Amino acid sequence: MGRKEPEVSTVDEAPGRQLPPASAAEARRLTAVHRYAALGTATGAAFDRVAALAARIFHAPFATVTVVGDGTVRVVAAHGLPPRRALVESLCAAAVRHGGPYVVNDALLDPRAAGDPAVYGEPGVRFYAAAVITTPDGEALGSVNVMDVRPREAGEEELACLRDLAGLVMDELEVRLATHRTVEVERELRAGAERLARTLQRTLLPPALPRVPGLCAAAAYHPVSADEVGGDFYDLFPLDGDRWGFFLGDVCGKGADAAALTSLVRYTLRAAAVYDADPHAVLANLDAVLQQEHAGGEAPAPYCTAVFGVLQPDGDGFGVTLATGGHPPALAVRASGAVEPIHPAGGQLIGILRNPHFAQVSARLNAGDALLLYTDGLTEARTPTGSMLDEDGLTAYLAAAGPTSADALLTTVHDLITALGTGVSDDTAVLALSVPPATRTPSSGSLGAA
Amino acid sequence: MQHDNGLTISLQPHTSGPRLLVVAGDLDHHTTPRLRAALEEVTFGPGTDLVIDLSGLTFCDSTGIATLVAAHQRAHDAGAALLLAGLDADIARVFQIMGLDRLLSFYDSPEEAVRALSG
Repeated sequence: MGRKEPEVSTVDEAPGRQLPPASAAEARRLTAVHRYAALGTATGAAFDRVAALAARIFHAPFATVTVVGDGTVRVVAAHGLPPRRALVESLCAAAVRHGGPYVVNDALLDPRAAGDPAVYGEPGVRFYAAAVITTPDGEALGSVNVMDVRPREAGEEELACLRDLAGLVMDELEVRLATHRTVEVERELRAGAERLARTLQRTLLPPALPRVPGLCAAAAYHPVSADEVGGDFYDLFPLDGDRWGFFLGDVCGKGADAAALTSLVRYTLRAAAVYDADPHAVLANLDAVLQQEHAGGEAPAPYCTAVFGVLQPDGDGFGVTLATGGHPPALAVRASGAVEPIHPAGGQLIGILRNPHFAQVSARLNAGDALLLYTDGLTEARTPTGSMLDEDGLTAYLAAAGPTSADALLTTVHDLITALGTGVSDDTAVLALSVPPATRTPSSGSLGAA
Repeated sequence: MQHDNGLTISLQPHTSGPRLLVVAGDLDHHTTPRLRAALEEVTFGPGTDLVIDLSGLTFCDSTGIATLVAAHQRAHDAGAALLLAGLDADIARVFQIMGLDRLLSFYDSPEEAVRALSG
């Protein structure tokens, strides 16, 4: 029985199982194969169904979907065969080189199948028909193949169906490639947004807190979203003499506007403190600057809440003067473990109200005492019961943790935020200050002195 | 953060007594412009008071707060009263921390707010 298909006779390449040395055209084709192979998961039920359908259309025992790489034939789907088992790789490669529909009526008579183990050994393939899987830009990736163990003819209708199946495989690969690219683009965008958020955050928060003699200080920022920049801020910085200023707050809004406002608030607070470090005056100055910023504006007024404090060394501790504007109470964790708010009553939002009231209070931080400043992302978080954590919940949590230091306080808050999980819906900034406990070891001398 | 509660606003004019603006759902930076627009429609003058019923308010972010504060100032400038009624306990707590309880008047219900105006 001779070969009947004219297509085969037009193939004028040397017989053999290996593809010819990569020509420019073959290099282009392999680039296309590589592009789709990058999907990594080009297998699945859709391709298995294509193979099963091809076998059924031809009433043939075997069918495969194959992709021809650089000297390799990869099986994407197989019907009537063990998974991933290729058949007549020689003819699969020849089909791709050929490009169009490809039929071998009797493989024993085809020189391209010479020595193919599937033809000369088990299962003894004689008939082979293939439709090539061609990319929209005309590159042949592989083929949908049907094999039988007896020599036979291929009908027009059967070949037309096989071509449609190859087209179906191409459509599926296109969809997968598009999805893959969308996911890639999305991943890149997200990475870009994360970089931006981190960069902005670095500019809005001090890179490291200064070392204040006799004081431990620590701060942390707990963002809820990696790519949405919140407006929480804090700082600790030297004032005149041996005094130190510190603040923590939260501007309204999110994103780029909030970032710009945060920057304005931070520098205004530092500048105002140099001019007049009285905490009440500092907040009043910030309010005036924000009001002016908004003057005549159409958009809602920018505003913030903040705690501003001044630390004055005093014996083995510090005197603290705090002013607040619309901000949740600072909490002192005393050396005894008692937790109490250091909070002047009645401080109002900064930058938005006419004649706002800012309140001020003085307290002492003695040896072993710690002070926690936080933003409302923490106290407005929902507990598992659905209620707001609030100042009471935070106070109870800190009281249970007992006497502490700035670093340990940060760990406690971190644990709390982790435990609250999705109950936390807003960023939280935390600034903790503590005075080291007195070292009472008279027999061995003062360990702390250096 | 997802808030799916939308926002509904309806103004109920009264032939006698204050007007009632019923605001329900989430007030965030997506929905607040609608409240701002509704409030801009409200004219204030001496004796033309407004009660905002917030008993259906489920969330209020910083833009919502700014809008309520601005409306209050506008009413105050015109010699009118703006009263808030039915605020959820958690939102009321947030308003209190922000010192807004010194500025705005809160009432448990619209009826109570109306009574306070007529009393």
